Amino acid sequence: MYFAAEVDKEKCNGCKLCIFSCPEPNAISFNEDDKKIVIDANRCKNCGLCVVGCPSKAIEIVLL
Amino acid sequence: MSVKIVKISPGFEEIMPKDYKDLVSNGPYGKGFGIKELGTFKELIEEHPLCAGCGLALSKRLILASLPSPENTIIVGTTGCSSLSFSQVALHNIHSIFGNQNAVATGLKRALEIRFPDVIKDVVAIGGDGAIGDIGLGMVMHSWFRGEKFATIMLDNESYANTGGQESGMSQQGAVLNMAPTGKKYNKLPMAEIARDAGCVYSVSVTFAKPKRLEKIIRRAVLIARQLGPTYIQIYCPCPTNYKHKPSESLERARDAEKSGAYPVKEYMSPEAEELIKKLEEGKKC
Repeated sequence: MYFAAEVDKEKCNGCKLCIFSCPEPNAISFNEDDKKIVIDANRCKNCGLCVVGCPSKAIEIVLL
Repeated sequence: MSVKIVKISPGFEEIMPKDYKDLVSNGPYGKGFGIKELGTFKELIEEHPLCAGCGLALSKRLILASLPSPENTIIVGTTGCSSLSFSQVALHNIHSIFGNQNAVATGLKRALEIRFPDVIKDVVAIGGDGAIGDIGLGMVMHSWFRGEKFATIMLDNESYANTGGQESGMSQQGAVLNMAPTGKKYNKLPMAEIARDAGCVYSVSVTFAKPKRLEKIIRRAVLIARQLGPTYIQIYCPCPTNYKHKPSESLERARDAEKSGAYPVKEYMSPEAEELIKKLEEGKKC
């Protein structure tokens, strides 16, 4: 995919709501060490549901 | 499925794909994980061919994450959008012909009870609204009349999305689709009420707007089906391809449908089921 979601690590508070709203399995994983999410751009289908689901507006769709 | 099956045979460690290795080292089998742990383990479903923003894919992900014992669960699927992603699921699953899922699940459940008398094997029939509400309605209702002990889950996208968007029995009145240009003329089937009257001890209509509520309902349905009888869940899955909305609007549409009453959340249970739920959820917050 040419577009993918990208997370702003400073805004992310680790609430995991994006993981519950993503239809793609294993695309967003949770890093236990710094309590923030990691997005796998190869699995992202650019649907934007995580952008809607994120309460702290930490995710946006970017051109790779 | 025994948990022992999910391991790599000696000598094949190097050539197995990374996804399988992850599943062996970090899979959810036998650990009792739920939706809360999503993102920290390897999920049972892998990259699927469903559209971007598909509500069905999201529901399926949440269903698979909230099964009480995935290693002892067998899924019976059927034709439709939902069947496109069964080959990516790391559980035993059976694909049956269109509408036959409950008949197949009946035989499977009875055979498993004879074959494994000391292990509880859950059978879950997952189908779309066409398979459960229209084409397989006879098979579905007769499995409920007979009181077969398995859960039926309908992923309701309100159309035949796989074949270009024909109206189904579960489409809302007035719904305009690619192959239904004049709009649907009659009402949506009241499947939750049909299930209640046909003998389901637990029948729910829900959306995926609140994942934890969905998890609770799926766990209840599978656990009640073990002991009492048939259970039925229908989950609203907005379809961006056929209802022509942006993929990112799926979640909002599910929330709006719930709030506006277009897709009300209903939960019916028999008195015995209510008692059993109280017993199961005693002491733990669910």
